[in-house]
Amino acid sequence: MPNSAGKRFKPTKYIPVSTAATLLVGSTTLFFVFTCPWLAKVISPAVPFYNGLVFLFVLANFSMATFMDPGVYPRANEDEDKDDDFRAPLYKNVEIKGIQVRMKWCATCHFYRPPRCSHCSVCDNCVEDFDHHCPWVNNCIGRRNYRYFFLFLLSLSAHMVGVFSFGLIFVLHHREMLGALHTTVTLVVMCVAGLFFIPVMGLTGFHMVLVARGRTTNEQVTGKFRGGVNPFTKGCCGNVEYVLCSPLAPRYVLDPKKKPHIKIQPPFIRPDTSERHITIKVSDNGIHGTIIHSKSKCSLDGLDGKEMQPPLPPKADKYSQLKAPQTSSEESSLSGRTHPSTPAMYRYRPSFGTMPKVHYHTAEEKIIMSEDRKTSAILEEGVRGHDYRSEPNLDLPEYANAPLHRTFQSSPFQLDSDPVASRTLSLKQGPCRLEKGQLQALGPQTAASTSYKGAFSPNTLSNRNGSLSYDSLLNPSISPAGANECRAHRGMPPMGFHSPYLPNKMCHIRETEIHRQQAAPAYSPVVIPRGMGRQSPHPRDRDSSPVRYDNLSQTIMASIQERKELEEREKRKMMHGRSQTSIYTPDSAAFDGGYGLPTNACYPEGPRGSFSRGPTPPTYGGSRDNLMGLGVMSYGQRTPVQRYAGSTLGRAPRTSSTSLHTDHSSTNSSQNRTPGPEGPYCSPVHQPHSPAMPRSPSYSHQKLSYINTHEKTDGSYRYLFTSVTDPHAVKVNGQMDCHMSTQNASLSPGRHSNVKKVTGVGGTTYEISV
Amino acid sequence: MATEFHNLQEMQHCASLVTKVFIQRDYSEGTVCRFQTKFPSELNNRIERTLLEETVKTLNSYYMEAEKIGGQSYMEGCLACATAYIVFLCMETRYEKVLKKISGYIQEQNEKIYAPRGLLLTDPVERGMRVLEVSIFEDQGSAGSSPSSTLSSDSSAR
Repeated sequence: MPNSAGKRFKPTKYIPVSTAATLLVGSTTLFFVFTCPWLAKVISPAVPFYNGLVFLFVLANFSMATFMDPGVYPRANEDEDKDDDFRAPLYKNVEIKGIQVRMKWCATCHFYRPPRCSHCSVCDNCVEDFDHHCPWVNNCIGRRNYRYFFLFLLSLSAHMVGVFSFGLIFVLHHREMLGALHTTVTLVVMCVAGLFFIPVMGLTGFHMVLVARGRTTNEQVTGKFRGGVNPFTKGCCGNVEYVLCSPLAPRYVLDPKKKPHIKIQPPFIRPDTSERHITIKVSDNGIHGTIIHSKSKCSLDGLDGKEMQPPLPPKADKYSQLKAPQTSSEESSLSGRTHPSTPAMYRYRPSFGTMPKVHYHTAEEKIIMSEDRKTSAILEEGVRGHDYRSEPNLDLPEYANAPLHRTFQSSPFQLDSDPVASRTLSLKQGPCRLEKGQLQALGPQTAASTSYKGAFSPNTLSNRNGSLSYDSLLNPSISPAGANECRAHRGMPPMGFHSPYLPNKMCHIRETEIHRQQAAPAYSPVVIPRGMGRQSPHPRDRDSSPVRYDNLSQTIMASIQERKELEEREKRKMMHGRSQTSIYTPDSAAFDGGYGLPTNACYPEGPRGSFSRGPTPPTYGGSRDNLMGLGVMSYGQRTPVQRYAGSTLGRAPRTSSTSLHTDHSSTNSSQNRTPGPEGPYCSPVHQPHSPAMPRSPSYSHQKLSYINTHEKTDGSYRYLFTSVTDPHAVKVNGQMDCHMSTQNASLSPGRHSNVKKVTGVGGTTYEISV
Repeated sequence: MATEFHNLQEMQHCASLVTKVFIQRDYSEGTVCRFQTKFPSELNNRIERTLLEETVKTLNSYYMEAEKIGGQSYMEGCLACATAYIVFLCMETRYEKVLKKISGYIQEQNEKIYAPRGLLLTDPVERGMRVLEVSIFEDQGSAGSSPSSTLSSDSSAR
């Protein structure tokens, strides 16, 4: 067979199908020629007619199975995966009928594989409802042609049975003429039929069972539902009906000639923005909520009246402004300020709804910080519940559109602030929308709180199984002091992580809209640099590393913040009493004070030591969270952090040597390496990266400083490593991310006890809400 | 035609693609084809929520109708079997018919609702039914220059 110049022609892949076709057609032809005439004469003419019919059926199904498109997904458009390439995790969770199913990123096709989809390496395509690649038909068996394949097996079995039986009858009647041509040929045909009878019947029986159970071969072989529940089953009858009687699915190809041409011509209609204010949601958190509510309303109205955006000083000024108010009113402002204080912030606050409810509509409610206030800033008041006492005016200038991440740089206090700062990050989801594109970092306090919630929203949305209850998380219970500290920079991942709160959802954080927002700079009103899609900066990473990761830090930060929130709440009391300097920082140990923060040594007390980054499930030390937040913050601001660190250091009573940290970190890492319940979930992912953990020291110092200031919560420390700025950290993050998510996942059950994890042999873990 | 072509050029000049929003599939009910009705935040200031939700809900109902296992699908299957699937060469399956309806619906929605707002829906079939793509266009021409809009008006006037 000649090899064509253009594509590689592999003759070997056609051998099985050629053999099968030859045997089938050849044997049957011989049967018809040599055996059927006698049979028609002696037994009945119906015999060849029947056999002919069955053979025709076999051929038709064989052809359909061979030549029909199994349901190939076309490659994703570049635009679709521009976020994903950079910072998407490898897996994304989706809930199907209450069961968590994992969707894997396909590096070849550039999308997350829908459930039941798999990539065929032979055909180099993702196939919908992938069953298997059949060499005998040289085609994948998927959604569109599974029925034909199944009918082919059934009809071939029937055909073989028929040929064998009628051949046997012929031979038995011609026992004395075994040497004759007809008899010999019949015997040969019988042998062929008999030889292939067992495998074909076996395969037929196997597929009959699969059809009855509603599984694909791929799922059966990889053991996905072993011991678990198959979310795709419709009952035995429903499954059979689905296979045999469902309508033929369409081919996913674009027909270019049919593409209609639409004129898009400006000016464009814009929706009425006055409705926006109506969308402000006030989460009735309690007393504060009401207070703020009124406040915000007034402020909002006021703001509406004037330029919605708070006067935005030049960036430099912004920072100074940030600093000033922060410095002065750090305690109070930080905590309370978050939401209500800034009317502008209100606008941008994602709507959370009341505490117990998680807003699932983050997508729209996120801070759409559009270029102007037109975006509906759905402000969620009282999200944080704690103090709304901050005066709005204070924050206004601060909340000028400074990039959230930048703000961290400006204020050292922010460093101290609470991981709530992460909220600001979530605010950032919209930040790109802002004209100036940024939420004031200071806003971290206010924004943080709001963004924090915002962060929740997407997560909560995705996490319907209730594995994570935001009730506790959302309680703003942060005392002002504590809150302030927490807030700070919770990790503003420059990329805007969303949903800090759903650790187990972190993987799920790939909601496109969320990502879009988070790809903050890219999505500013200017045209987004699209080239990024395929030319991902980490194409290699994506393909090779199991976790995707540029973005992980953000998600991690989100988790961290989540943790922090929890910690804060828990520790609020202790926070008051305890000096901030008390440092739990067991985690800090993990970070070598790369930046020379000796204080990081705040070495954890004995028990802390045990807080390896590993899955310490529900024990989050507050400090950890703070750390996390800090870590996040570290993105932007090394310098201020350092400054701050210095001051922090003063506070930290303990000063262990950095070497301690290193040791500890290694210990931690090793500890981290012991995944706990989440193990199966991410183990393949994070194990290879474990050595990377200790490598994220660069952020540690910053984090440590935070630790000093805030309640030390354990638990979130593991997120510290995920400071993203470090390229290594990326991997770590990725890993951490996975780790975290697993941990979080485990946490959720710990916390909520309503998720049961079922692990399949193939490594798939399904979480079933019970 | 020439004018139309000219308008297209003007259009291309004046409105350019800024970003794309992807409305993902809703797998909560299994692999049946449904799209999430969650409103993407990027579209918040471009289109009213209800309009998009209405579109998505209608699309979902179309897909549900296409994938329904019932009398018509039985008949189609039996007929196909009986004719050794030759009928597929002659006749359009029900799914294909519904897809055509969907394509017409999307076209109509684009013309009436989305294009005037600078948005464009892409038929999910082109994306493998994985996402519903909404392209967001921005008015580049008007941002800087009335001249360009004047130009377009002039050209259209011509």
